[in-house]
Amino acid sequence: MGAKWKLITDLIFTLTLCLMLAVPAHAHGAKIEYTVDVVIEIVAAYDSGEPMAGAQVVIYAPDDPTDPWLTGVCNDEGRFRFVPDTSRPGTWDVQVRKAGHGDIVHIPIGEGSTGAGSAGGYTPLQIILMAACVIWGAVGTSLYFWRRRA
Amino acid sequence: MKKGILVLLTTTLLAVSFTLSGCSGGGEKGTLQFYANGEDFVRQGFVSKDGWSIRFDHVYITLADITAYQTDPPYDPHMGDNINGKVTVGLSNAYTVDLAEGGEDAPSILVDEIQNVPAGHYNAISWNMVRAASSPSAGHSLVMIGTAEKDGQTVDFTINIDAECSYDCGEYVGDERKGIVSDGGTADLEMTFHFDHIFGDAETPLDDELNQGALGFEYFIGYADGQTVDINMTEMHLGHVGEGHCHCLCD
Repeated sequence: MGAKWKLITDLIFTLTLCLMLAVPAHAHGAKIEYTVDVVIEIVAAYDSGEPMAGAQVVIYAPDDPTDPWLTGVCNDEGRFRFVPDTSRPGTWDVQVRKAGHGDIVHIPIGEGSTGAGSAGGYTPLQIILMAACVIWGAVGTSLYFWRRRA
Repeated sequence: MKKGILVLLTTTLLAVSFTLSGCSGGGEKGTLQFYANGEDFVRQGFVSKDGWSIRFDHVYITLADITAYQTDPPYDPHMGDNINGKVTVGLSNAYTVDLAEGGEDAPSILVDEIQNVPAGHYNAISWNMVRAASSPSAGHSLVMIGTAEKDGQTVDFTINIDAECSYDCGEYVGDERKGIVSDGGTADLEMTFHFDHIFGDAETPLDDELNQGALGFEYFIGYADGQTVDINMTEMHLGHVGEGHCHCLCD
């Protein structure tokens, strides 16, 4: 019986010691978090296949076609990487130029690409007012002929 | 009295509706200018791939059906499709311009402009190179007049080209972004012509694709007195938008 209690006591002591020893280990632990980003890599080359090393890169975000969002330079392999701001969905334009050669590539990012051409659309208020005008015209015309017949 | 109220109500509704229609996105207008640019190759001259130093007195090119587009998704000339614009504006006339006009530092040639175009980004352009109906280049789509020198030999040339071509191009590629028309503002687009693609460029390696495809100047010596040269202009890739490419088809 005493041996049994001693074993239990020893186990409790050992467990307690392990736990006590384990506590400091948390202080040296690691916390790993992660985020997922869209990384775009462009590879620029001349028609001959030669990489456009050192070519100038200019990137435009979808909602600002005038001011560059980012500029940079291709590496020796003609590669350039960037992480677009995915809160600005639409078509990202990437222009690459070097020594009189250049091109532009258009990369759709996210859902519902925003287009520059929004001409010709009507707001709900405009649609309601136009509908009201049409109905009013129809009613007025009916009343006009009804009154003449009367 | 009742009739007066009815008329007043109808007039008010119509007025408000028309006003709001005018205030929609389509109501923002600006001016779009079209330029033609032969670049320094034409203005300052250059040395062809076969060593001829070329200077141009006149380079007459006739352009027609010049049209600008707002495209979404953006037009890709590498695909070779037709341009489908959400907004399309164009010039109806044909224009003969002298790309060599002005001095060595002359600006690009203003072809024409269109006022009151819908605001937005005109990111594609198309035009045709056509035979001129009248002088100074009547009957020809491209006339190059100038002098070429090599090893003490001088050749005065008039090179006539009759080929008619269509160019469908994407966005201008260059130092600045072009074609962005804001409300009340003025933007421009450029039709750029790379004559080094015809004659080659001594400053570019001979094995470069540009020089591989170019004819050089000596090819034209037999035609320098004004005979029409029959060359495959599709393969010359003359028309560009800055450094940006165009899809080209010639007859």
